[in-house]
Amino acid sequence: MKKVENINLGTIKFVIDTDAYDALENYLDTIESHFRKSEGCEEIMEDIEIRMAELFHESLFSANSIISMKHVNEVIAIMGTPEDFGATTRTRVNGSDTKSRKKYQAKRLFRDQDETVVAGVCSGLAAYFGVSDPVIVRMIFIIATIVTGVPLIIYAILWMIIPVARNANDRLAMRGEPINVDSISKQVEEELYNLKDTLEEVGKSFGGKKKG
Amino acid sequence: MKAQMRKGVLELCVLSLLEHAEAYPSDIIKQLKESKLIVVEGTLYPLLNRLKNSSLLSYHWIESKAGPPRKYYFITDEGKGVLTEMRETWKELNHAVESTTKQKQKLKQK
Repeated sequence: MKKVENINLGTIKFVIDTDAYDALENYLDTIESHFRKSEGCEEIMEDIEIRMAELFHESLFSANSIISMKHVNEVIAIMGTPEDFGATTRTRVNGSDTKSRKKYQAKRLFRDQDETVVAGVCSGLAAYFGVSDPVIVRMIFIIATIVTGVPLIIYAILWMIIPVARNANDRLAMRGEPINVDSISKQVEEELYNLKDTLEEVGKSFGGKKKG
Repeated sequence: MKAQMRKGVLELCVLSLLEHAEAYPSDIIKQLKESKLIVVEGTLYPLLNRLKNSSLLSYHWIESKAGPPRKYYFITDEGKGVLTEMRETWKELNHAVESTTKQKQKLKQK
């Protein structure tokens, strides 16, 4: 038994297996990103979808048949992949271009002082391993401490050996983000925002004191 | 290089296929496949789009009994003009290439 999806391809309704649907969507995304730079991309995609709809229509046994992976592969073979379109040189250049732009610098372990409960060890570990929420790491630490007691010692050692992320560069390295003008300005913006919050809080507490 | 040469020739072929009769992409593809000029159909759609955007081709929709409506492409007057120019260029190039390769052969024979 398989799950199916209903799709509208080139104004025709089709019923398609979920795995075939994923393959088809992936294929359309690939050629769309290939044609994105050329003029009339939308129209080209529309033409291609219409033609694919026609090919599916021809290859299906009856109007109630379901498009399977086999059909999708056949149609893709007829339409061709971007490499077949003879634009390999261009895509290759673009490929290396984006690769170099996305070159992430090696991650380094830091203690995150923006997100601390005790010393920022857990939040630093979370950033290093790409865990979205440091609370998860903290929970693991706490549970493991209750059960075995060992992580408490580990925490103390990590506290001593892991340096604090002091500046924007450190913080980017902590998350493994590339160091470039964009990311640094983003980081600086974040810091200014935090600073503003802190100043406001300080201002409030001062105001409170004066009144009291 | 090979791909670029093919691309140029393909434009000439598509225009001459449409010179006397309108056609929809599948017809064009069939003929181009027979002459082994294209291998995959995806090549043709960007080309038709480019020719249409430079107003050498135009199209109109025709309902189809089986399947989605079809885009029938036809050549414009501007397209006819360009086609004549392209044919001239093709002849010149053909002549140039042949005479050069023949000369080379003669030199070899000597």
